[in-house]
Amino acid sequence: MDGRLSNKWRVTVNESKFVESALQSELRVDGRGLYDYRKLTIKFGKEYGSSEVQLGQTHVMAFVTAQLVQPYKDRPNEGSFSIFTEFSPMADPSFEPVHPGESAVELGRIIDRALRESRVVDTESLCVFAGKLVWNLVDAANIAALAALLTFRRPDCTVGGENSQEVIIHPPEEREPLPLIIHHLPIAFTFGFFNKGSILVMDPTVVEEAVMSGRMTVTVNANGDICAIQKPGEEGVNQSVILHCLRLASSRAAATTKIIREAVEAYNRERSSQKVIRHHTLAKSEVLGPIEVV
Amino acid sequence: MEYVNPEGLRLDGRRFNEMRQIVAEVGVVSKADGSAVFEMGNTKVIAAVYGPREIQNKSQQKKNDHAVVLCEYSMAQFSTGDRRRQKFDRRSTELSLVIRQTMEACILTELMPHSQIDIFLQVLQADGGTRSACINAATLALADAGIPMRDLAVSCSAGYLNSTPLLDLNYVEDSAGGADVTVGILPKLDKVTLLQMDAKLPMETFETVFALASEGCKAIAERIREVLQENTKQLEYRRAA
Amino acid sequence: MVMRKLQLELPLNQTQKVRFKRAMERLQFLSSTTNNSVIVADSIHEDAFLLKGHGTSEVDGELMATVCGVVTHVDKLVYIRTLRARYKPEVKDIVVGRVIEVSKSCWRLELNSTKDGILKLSSMDNDVQRRKTYVDELNMRNIIVEDDVVCAEVGCIHRDGGLELRATSYKYGKLEKGQHLMVDPYLVKRSNIHFHYIESLGIDLIIGRNGFIWVGEHVQAQDHMILDDEMIKHTSLETRQSILRIGNAIRVLSNLGFTMTLEVIMETFNLSNAENIDVYDMLGSEFHVLVAENELERRIRRA
Repeated sequence: MDGRLSNKWRVTVNESKFVESALQSELRVDGRGLYDYRKLTIKFGKEYGSSEVQLGQTHVMAFVTAQLVQPYKDRPNEGSFSIFTEFSPMADPSFEPVHPGESAVELGRIIDRALRESRVVDTESLCVFAGKLVWNLVDAANIAALAALLTFRRPDCTVGGENSQEVIIHPPEEREPLPLIIHHLPIAFTFGFFNKGSILVMDPTVVEEAVMSGRMTVTVNANGDICAIQKPGEEGVNQSVILHCLRLASSRAAATTKIIREAVEAYNRERSSQKVIRHHTLAKSEVLGPIEVV
Repeated sequence: MEYVNPEGLRLDGRRFNEMRQIVAEVGVVSKADGSAVFEMGNTKVIAAVYGPREIQNKSQQKKNDHAVVLCEYSMAQFSTGDRRRQKFDRRSTELSLVIRQTMEACILTELMPHSQIDIFLQVLQADGGTRSACINAATLALADAGIPMRDLAVSCSAGYLNSTPLLDLNYVEDSAGGADVTVGILPKLDKVTLLQMDAKLPMETFETVFALASEGCKAIAERIREVLQENTKQLEYRRAA
Repeated sequence: MVMRKLQLELPLNQTQKVRFKRAMERLQFLSSTTNNSVIVADSIHEDAFLLKGHGTSEVDGELMATVCGVVTHVDKLVYIRTLRARYKPEVKDIVVGRVIEVSKSCWRLELNSTKDGILKLSSMDNDVQRRKTYVDELNMRNIIVEDDVVCAEVGCIHRDGGLELRATSYKYGKLEKGQHLMVDPYLVKRSNIHFHYIESLGIDLIIGRNGFIWVGEHVQAQDHMILDDEMIKHTSLETRQSILRIGNAIRVLSNLGFTMTLEVIMETFNLSNAENIDVYDMLGSEFHVLVAENELERRIRRA
């Protein structure tokens, strides 16, 4: 009775036993191999710096916005970079409208830590929204945030005005907006542990997440650096298993980075071809079609 | 800024693989079932455990045959240099979740169905490594409360500055922008429960820093065992009649 | 050396510290020299035992402790006796509890255990064996209400941990005119008598196995279902002072961690009288040190 009232989906005993026994024979319920990722789709929106990523059935949207503010006194040459995460109740009935739950906060902090290394000079803020059906949000949200950052253009500004102290922000029609300087692309990979740490899967689905006894998210980049690791307690695993996960993630990083960069490039090409039209007439540009990557 | 001088001494005079001084005490909160104070250098944390007791809020019971573990991490407003404005913020929420899951991994919750164990952690002085100190304090408090555990969960942090791996960072070293790896292990079973890292590290360097942190954990485990053994012996000889 | 803090945070002056330390060291020396205490994740080195009891677990063929305590064996059973844990109920134990809820046909009692105790209306028998009707249910609040202290016996323990209590005899039931004290359950040993009547002082002393102790004026055992409309007799000042003295004696013993038996409590009580110590001063540092020394002598005498 209580379960129904709180609208929380709980995995049944049947399902959990099915998932566990399948894993014993190295099979996953949706037919993937233990280390296979789901299909990744990256779409871009009308605005600069908005993206929508689909990883299997998980949808995540990301927006980048920028503001000119006073820098911190001890870091006068640097801007700041902050991440806000919102789980909207549209995604899953168990999310509450205003109060971020534990997992929302954790997700925000994982992404925040991972992306903090791609230092950008000017100020900005990044909002990440979670869309439909929630399965393995971390990886999808991370990719969405990166895609959005890569396509974001901030308005150009110059110092001018009366006494050379004012900063003028040039609207996009006047001057070409500038891209952000991104040093590297950290990509997150989530692993699930089963059966006291002896079975390992990559990119768990929501059913597997409910059954698994431990999880770990590793963020790596294509240069072989490890950017962040989050293993928040739960099941203890051997050191060798952890190093194995790191190696798996490193080997995948290059492939995923390529996918993201290709998607961004295709988007940029489309944009530039459309831009020429925009300056001549004031016709509205349409939302670009999805760029499918397999 | 130089964090390790050419002779190999850090800002507080330690070597790269030296930990700060540890002070641990059990049984400090008389009302609690179990309690402990754990200090690593200037970082001071107090933990109080209540339980296993009757479940207060029936809706929190997720698994019917296991005990519910609740954990609350908070930093006192006087714990850092400037008075903190909010007691509970996102960092506290994440740390409460992380510490709860770490302790859940080592408590034998299936032996205490339909009950609740509350762990309260309060940081009195923060000087880097608060989450490690909290996990160590929680382990001591749980052992003091007589709650059955698989193993003692211990935790330690290590970092990488000036091309040197450093054990047990304090606040200044932590905010230097280098890597910070926090490791939580179960020493007897030799398993890793908690692993968190921020900032970039190449793979090989990570392995070195990780190994250093694990060594630190083992040293802390020894200390905790000493404290618990002394405490148990003392209770027993006082009681014996 | 880690000293367990005295719960009252007593300021001991230099001589007192020295005396206390010496008493503790000699107590330690007296206690059994074979050291059986273990802590979490210690392996238990024993020969093959057939039964592995509480506090042990087998990991990879090795027997390990899961709690801090003392390894005890009874015949072929090996288990760990915990020290600072909550009360583990056993059938037929006498317990004292505080009422926290009055529900339909039962009272819920707090017992310092993993689960609360349930005292059913039907378990409160009296002379006239009759079924309790709805009138009795409505009357429940007139007999026992929240925050009352009740003495009962553990009836049965369900598989899911639910604890049922019985108050089937006249000596059980609501306790009045006295003081309720809480000590650690491990300080109370199982014995034949838990109800003590100290005739010379006219005081009842009930030592519950769950660590809750009741010290009160002696009350004749009577039917608790019958509502007593008599005027409540006034307790004399002397009796009250005795109650307080015994209460404080128990507090001191609990602070020092010594086992509670009637003998020890009465000795402490007599000691405080002999040294002419004021009731309140019993909680001071000097008396604590005296009790420690006295306990040392007592154990030497017994050994």
